[in-house]
Formats: sequence, C-alpha cells, structure tokens
Amino acid sequence: MTAQTGTTGSPTGPVTPLPVTAPGRPDHGSSRGAGDGGSPGRVGSGRRREGRAAWILAIPFCLLFLAFTAWPVVQSLFMSFTDTKAKDLRHPFSVNIVGFDNFTKALSDPIFRKAAANTAYFVLVGVPLTLLLALAAAVALDKGITRFRAVFRLGFYMPVITSIVAVAVVWRFLLQDPGGLINTVLGWFGITGPNWLGDPNWSMPALIMMAAWRNFGTGMIIFLAGLQAVPAELHEAAAIDGAGAVKRFRHVTLPLLRPTLLFVMVTTSIGYLQVFEEPFVMTQGGPLNSTITVTYNTYQQFGFGNYGLASAMSYLIFVVIAIVTALQFRLLRERS
Amino acid sequence: MRRTTVISVACMTAAALTVTACGRGAEDGGSAAGQTGAAVSTGKATGTITVWAMGAEGDNLSKLTKDFEAANPGVSVKVTSIPWAAAHDKFTTAITAGKTPDVAMVGTTWMGEFAGSDAIDPTPAQIDKSAFFEGAQKTTEVNGTSYGIPWYVETRVVFYRTDLAKKAGYDTVPTDAAGLKDMAKAMQTKAGAKWGIGLQAGGDGSWQTLMPFAWSEGADLTKDGGKKYNFDSPEVLKATQYYQSYFTDGISNKSAPATPTTEPDFVNGTVPMFISGPWMMSAVEKVGGAGFKDKYNVAPIPAGSAGSSSFVGGSNFVVFKNTQNRDTAWKFVQWLAEPKVQSKWYTISTDLPSVKSAWQDPALASDKKLAVFGKQLETAKAPPSFPTWEQAVKGLDTELEKITKTGADPATGLKTAQQQADSIGTGM
Amino acid sequence: MSVDTAPRQPAAAPQQESGPPRSGMVGTSRSGHWWLYVVLVIALAAVVAPFVWMVLGSFKGEGELRQIPPTWWPQDASLDNYTQLFSKLNFGQYFTNSTVVAVVVTAGNLVFCSMLGYALAMLDFKGKRVIFVAVMTTLMIPGVVTFVPLFVLVANAGLVDTIPGLFLPWLVSPFGVFLMRQFILGLPRDLLDAGRVDGAGELRIFWRIILPLCGPALATLGILTFLGSWNNFLWPLVVAQSEDKYTLPVALALYSTGQNSTNYGLLLAGATVVIIPVLVVFLIFQKRFIEGIATTGLK
Repeated sequence: MTAQTGTTGSPTGPVTPLPVTAPGRPDHGSSRGAGDGGSPGRVGSGRRREGRAAWILAIPFCLLFLAFTAWPVVQSLFMSFTDTKAKDLRHPFSVNIVGFDNFTKALSDPIFRKAAANTAYFVLVGVPLTLLLALAAAVALDKGITRFRAVFRLGFYMPVITSIVAVAVVWRFLLQDPGGLINTVLGWFGITGPNWLGDPNWSMPALIMMAAWRNFGTGMIIFLAGLQAVPAELHEAAAIDGAGAVKRFRHVTLPLLRPTLLFVMVTTSIGYLQVFEEPFVMTQGGPLNSTITVTYNTYQQFGFGNYGLASAMSYLIFVVIAIVTALQFRLLRERS
Repeated sequence: MRRTTVISVACMTAAALTVTACGRGAEDGGSAAGQTGAAVSTGKATGTITVWAMGAEGDNLSKLTKDFEAANPGVSVKVTSIPWAAAHDKFTTAITAGKTPDVAMVGTTWMGEFAGSDAIDPTPAQIDKSAFFEGAQKTTEVNGTSYGIPWYVETRVVFYRTDLAKKAGYDTVPTDAAGLKDMAKAMQTKAGAKWGIGLQAGGDGSWQTLMPFAWSEGADLTKDGGKKYNFDSPEVLKATQYYQSYFTDGISNKSAPATPTTEPDFVNGTVPMFISGPWMMSAVEKVGGAGFKDKYNVAPIPAGSAGSSSFVGGSNFVVFKNTQNRDTAWKFVQWLAEPKVQSKWYTISTDLPSVKSAWQDPALASDKKLAVFGKQLETAKAPPSFPTWEQAVKGLDTELEKITKTGADPATGLKTAQQQADSIGTGM
Repeated sequence: MSVDTAPRQPAAAPQQESGPPRSGMVGTSRSGHWWLYVVLVIALAAVVAPFVWMVLGSFKGEGELRQIPPTWWPQDASLDNYTQLFSKLNFGQYFTNSTVVAVVVTAGNLVFCSMLGYALAMLDFKGKRVIFVAVMTTLMIPGVVTFVPLFVLVANAGLVDTIPGLFLPWLVSPFGVFLMRQFILGLPRDLLDAGRVDGAGELRIFWRIILPLCGPALATLGILTFLGSWNNFLWPLVVAQSEDKYTLPVALALYSTGQNSTNYGLLLAGATVVIIPVLVVFLIFQKRFIEGIATTGLK
C-alpha cells in the first residue's frame, strides 16, 4: 500500500521508561563495586539471613524477568542463527540453522553499512551537541539567573515529553525550503538556507538538530542537579585565591561534574545509537539513504518478514552498544 | 567449579538437541495454486463474527453492519476499529499468535504475505469474481487462488488546473505520453508554474507513480510464468526513461522532501499538475476553499502502446482460516459485494466501489470527475501478490531515486533492481 | 587542580534551590545578568514554539494546516477538532485504561525495582553478580528484537485483549533497578548496621529505614515510568483486540491516520490532549525529581 503517513510510536515498548534514551552501565568508579556487599566481620548466620532476605527482595524481578524478558531474548537470539521468515513464526523450530550467515549477510549489505555510517555520523555529532546545549542551559539556569528557574526548566524539558508525531509535523514546517521558519530566519541574516529535508547533504544535520532539540532537556535536568552538588565552600576558596568565573568553572565545577558527564554521555549515546523515530517520521531514511539508521534498517527487515536477519542485526547493534559504553567508562573513569 | 561445568554441559546439550530438532520438513508448499473455498450454506447468517477495519472505515462500517444485522435477525457483527498506523504490524503479530478475527479489511499489498502464512481462506465459488474490476480482483489473487473480495478501490489519474491549462493552451490533458510532457512544460513556460508536474522522485512508494506509465506500455511485472520478478523489461525501461526525462528536463522537482506539499502547491499554482488518487480531491478542495472544485479537473493516464493503465489499490475483505463461524463470515463478505451495499458504502464513506455495476448508482454516475476514475479502473492493474513484493520493490524505489535525482542510467539501475529482486525471490 | 572523588551529598538533606548565596554566585549580583535572561527567553521561545504551534494548530481547519507558509494564529479558530475527537472517541474509557495501566506499571516499578535495587546495593548473596549482569544486558538489547516473541508468549498465556496483558511485561524494568541501585549505593551503610544492632529483620530495615530515604529517586523513577507507559503505542495496539481495551495513544491514532492521508487537525488536537496529564505529573513531581537526579549515579 502507499507509504503510511503520520505514523506514531517506535517499535519498542517501554523497555526503559526514559522517553528517549536507554540508560547506561553503572559507574564502576563508585566506592562500592558491583559485587561487593556486607560490612567486614559479620557472622555466618548474619550472612545467611542477608542472603535469604536478598532473595525475597529479588524474587518479583526474577520471576517477571524470566517470564517476560529471558525467554523472548533466548528465542530471538535463536532466530538470529536461523533463516526464520514471518510465516515460520508459528512453527519456530521448522527452520534451518544457518550459523553466522545472517550476521555476515548484514555486515556485507551495502545498505546496512550506509546505515552504520549514518548512525556513527549521527552519534559523533549529535552527542557532543546535545551535551553542550544541556550543559550550557544548566549552567545558565543554575548560575546565571535566579528567577523563573522553574519556568525555564519546564520549557526546556518540554520537547522530551511530547509525542514525536506532533514534533515531526512542526519540524517539517520549520525545515521547509522555501518558506520554513528556519530558512526565513536565516534569510534575515542574508544566508540562503538549504533544502534541508530534500538534500542528501543536509538531511542528517537537520535530523541532528531536531534530536538535539528534543533531548537536551533531559541532560539539562541532570546537569542542574550535578551543579547543585558542588559545595559553595570550594567556589569561595577558589574565589579568594583570585580565580575568575571561567577559571572556577574549569577547575572546580567541571572535575566535580565528571560523574554526571559520564552518566549523561553514556545514556545519550545509547539512545542515539538506536536512533529510529527521527528518520522514521521525517525522512523515511532518504533522500538517497542519507538518513537511514541501523535501527531503522532493522525495523524494515522485520517489516519484510526477515526475522532471522533482523534479529541478527539487532544483536550486532547490541554488541556495538556494549563496546561503546565500555569505552566511555574507560575514558571518563574517575582517576583515584 | 563443578557447578559451572554442569551448567555448560547442560547448555551445550540443549543447544545440540535444538539444532537436531530444527529444520524445514518437506515444504508443504504453502498455498496450492488455484484453490476455491468450500461452499457456504444458503440461508440466514447466525451467531457472532468479529470484524477488524482500519481508521475511518472502521468507524463507518458499524453504520453499514446494522443493515446486515437487520437482514439476518440474531446475527451479531462486532466491529473493532484499528488505526492505520502500524496496522500491518498488528496483523502480522495477530497471525503469528493465532489471535486473528473472523473477518478483516486488509491492504491490497498485504495479501501475498498473509496467504503465504496460510492465514486466510480461499474465496468460495459462489462469489462472482467477474463483478469486480479486473485489476481489483487480481489484488485478491495469490498464486492463482482468490482470497476474499476487493471491497473498495482507488486508482491514480492526472490532476490538473483547468485555468492554468487554458493559459498554457490546453483544454484537456493529451492522451499520449509525449503530449503530457509538452503540457507540463507549457505550464512552466506559459502559465507561470515553477514545476510543470509533481512526480515522486524515487523513494518509498514511488513505483505507484512509475508503474502506470509502464503498464500503459504493456509491462508485465513477472516473467517465467509468474516465477520471477521482471523489472528490467523493455517496457519498464521505456517508462523509466520517460519518467527520468521529466527530471532531467527540469519539469519535475528532484529535491522535493519526503513529505510532499502537493495540496498547497497545486492551489497556489506552483505545481499545477500531479498524479494521485481520489482522496486528493477533498484534500485540495479543503486547501483551495470554496469554488476551487471548478478550477481543476482529472484526466486518465496517457495511453502508451498498450492503452491507458494505472495503479489500482484500495482494501480487500478477507476471512481468516481459524474463524469459528466461517459460514456467517463469508455471508457477510458476500453481502458487502452486493451492488446496493457497495453504493450505500460509497455514500457513507466516499470510498469507490469495487463492483462495476455499483457505478451506475446516480450518486456516482453524476459526478464527472469520479467518472474518470471509474473509466481508469477498467484498465488499472495491480502488482503481483508475492510475499516479498514490498522488499523487492524497495530496491526499485531506491534505484529510481538515483535515476531521478542524480541522473543515473535507467538501464543499469533497472538491472540492479532486477538482480536484487532475483536474490530475494518471490517467496512463493 | 584535581579532585579525587566527588564529595557526597547526604541524601536526606538536599540543597535548596533559592536561599542563601550558592556556589557560583560568589561575587555576582543577586539579580543575575540581564543579558542572560534575554538569551534564555529567546532560547525558550525557540524551544517552546513548536508546542505553541501544536496547540494553536489544534484549533485550525485541515485546509489551513496544509498551507505554505504555515500560519501562526488560526484564521478561523474553532473547536471542531476537539468536538470531533471527543464525540467519536469513547474518551473516558481510553483515558481510564491509560491511567490504570500507567499507574499499575509505575507502582510495580517503584516497589519491585527498589526491592532489587536495595538487594544489589546493600546485601551480599549468591547469584548477585548473575542478576546484575542480566539486568545490565537487558538494558542494552534493542526492544524491537524481543517484541514479537514477547507477544506470542503473552498470547499463549491467554493475556491478549486483557488489561493485565497491557501492563504485566512492564511491571519491573531494568532501568528502574539500575536507578534505585545507584541511589541506594549513596546511602550510608551504618544505617544497616544500626538497624541490625537494634534487632530489626533485614526486610524491616529495607522497609522502615532505607525506603523512606529514597523519596527523590522514587519520584524520579515514578515520573519516567509514568511517561513511558502513558506514551506507549505499539504494545497496546497489538495486545488490545477490542476497542474497550485501547489506551489513549492508540485511540487517537484511529482517526488521525488514514490509508493515504493524515488528518492533521485531529492529530494535533489529540497530541495536545495526551500531553496534559503528563505535564501535570511532571509539575507535581518536579521538585522532588531534581533532587532525585542529584543523588543517583553520581558517586
């Protein structure tokens, strides 16, 4: 049928409740590692009691997890090693095992590669941009002004909580060439804006702008909290030592913001690596595949009924997410 | 450490067992060709059936089903509206889980996939297939078997501004392809249009604008007795070269964004011609305001060496195999195909009837613009109902985008599309 | 100058927003820089403009909505879109469904995620590492790949077209577990020992001592979970077979999206309506929400 217009919703259910980004890994720079527990020198029976209580607390999650998460993951992982098509789903075992074929097929598909390149472009430009906007807004709200903070906070957070469809309708009008608001404003400064959504060179920047606009509010809120955690005494001490505002920011605030920076960078990266809604609603991957992303490509393959291949693509994405997350932790690890 | 050994042995055993348990059995071949459904009993319909219908049709359908319930006392038709957005996903997941309704309205391009999943029931012989437009009837056929009926149809014609056409020196749209192009050019040179005609420059769904020209040349989208796709035939090549010339000659916009601005462009004369379906009539009239309906008209696709043909779409009504009330389900579907019911449906929904005789109804016969659609429907064609159609034609859409936007060679592009389609296969 | 670890902020006493001079304000005037206000107002206008357009657009007719260049103020403002929406849709039913599902999912997450988060943060037990790895791995798997197997599972369990089918798979989310774990890691351990010395059972310690201190994190989790559940489209679409099980986003898509066209007026009206409860929840929990972020995952 003709391409659907104005479709809503991403293919993911609320696997994570955050409207945009999936969260990241724990901060291993914490004074307690992942596996630690129990204060030193506790008695055996105390340990047992602890263990029992812990299991009681863990049971609800474990049951729900085993029921609704573990099995679907196992089944989809299995599918990625077979040639499952849509019509085979009713008889999941009447399929051929093809080993790593799906994975090699995905990696050698020129469209998947283009999607990977596009996604990398999106993440490498989009994440710093979003972080910059979020930090700038947070600093402005935290240090620059005293009044109407709540108004600005709500306003800047609004793009995060609105439905993508309404956002897309508005942004399509904004980006129109000619006549869209952005090009009109650029025209006031004597710049002829490009045909954002119709030009393969400018379509990705347009989507990056839109994504940054949508998501910086989340980062801003988190940075705001992080900034509030910097104690006044340190600033006063630095000021007494003669440090100006900018110097203070660089040497007092920024280091203390490191853990927050890591958290926001990781969560934003994970979300952007799985970017789907922007190309889905705005450009359908075009023009000339300049905005197709890996998740969008995967969704297309699911739509074609190539479940084995699409599952393999999804797990490839998972591997990349894990690697990128681990790298970021390495990079921004606390030097203690 | 024994624990981990035990676990790993268990895992490997499970894996080994799974591998041996897998494998496709002797393919039962899915749907055997040329089936007809078992006959449906005569007499009144009884019991309850569940019906799924999309969007506004779902809403309006309840008005229609009241008549069916009145004619068959005791029967209950439960209609559930589902949104068009992600409707395909809803159907595929329902089929997978075995949670389908008795009857449903489905998009014409989904038929191949659903038939391939062995989910829908072949049409009984009692339903007269010749009552429908041929192209529409073909949309229900997969591998020679008809599943369900075409319910309502749409087709694509040329929309043009009559006032601007006069300025350009044309009273009607020429009936040959070269003439259409000349008219579009004249719109630019003499009637102040920025682009002569709005054609989709490749991308998703652009085949629906290209195919009318190919079909008008007599193109057949399958070859080898329906076993393979046929994208690089001489007819398709000729149509593609013709299509490309609009862009290389600057008559159509290469850089139009993915979401078109057809209505405002048509109303303000920037793009005074385009090819689309009946829903665009109310769309342009809404933007154009009062009196605009007199400023435009529609005309058939210009004829090629095989006459004038177009794309036929719409929706079909199918019965699912795991229905508990097959008799009533088919009775309901059969009832929907009655000319009177088709006409009534038109008055409720403005969806065009798939049954030819329903077009004699005064409401339809009196509308001159609709008459053009009616005539076009007689020769309109549908793509093959292969399960892999969407995936195969996506390759064509992508090549068409390169052909129109970057001036790539049509022959090479079509060859690439054909190779991709061959590697995907028809899925039958 | 380098600082080894970020100084810990006690969870029970978060900093106030306004009040005595705060960090960074040393040496600047209390009223802030006026030019910054100007910049921020412009930025706010840029950010909020699409919403304003969305709300204004919901009062416009279809023809006006498709005009280029787009209009700002409605030429013929009317409530048509809203009356159409409310008359066609059994609004009360869908709103109730959405609310019930969102509230249950939120409550479930608040309870179960804090339970496991506490266990992972504070207690020592066998299998702790395994559970934690499971949680983190699930976070990173794209949701699209498990969608269909999950639906088949739910269908086989007979939960299709039921309200429980709408919320059961989402009652505990890995993200929530992670969030609560990080937050509770920031609480002082001595609380546990003090409780034990007093003879309290483990679960009692959790319930009476730890949980009351988790206010901000719970508020954070509550908002985010509510948002996610409220806006969810695809799962309710696929699980509901009869219209009385639809949630609001699904119902709103019924009339606004068509086979070949979109009814923008209804779409915008629907989007405006859908966002209101979300704004309300956000405003109510906003203060606690900020405090919550301050004390999670920053250690």
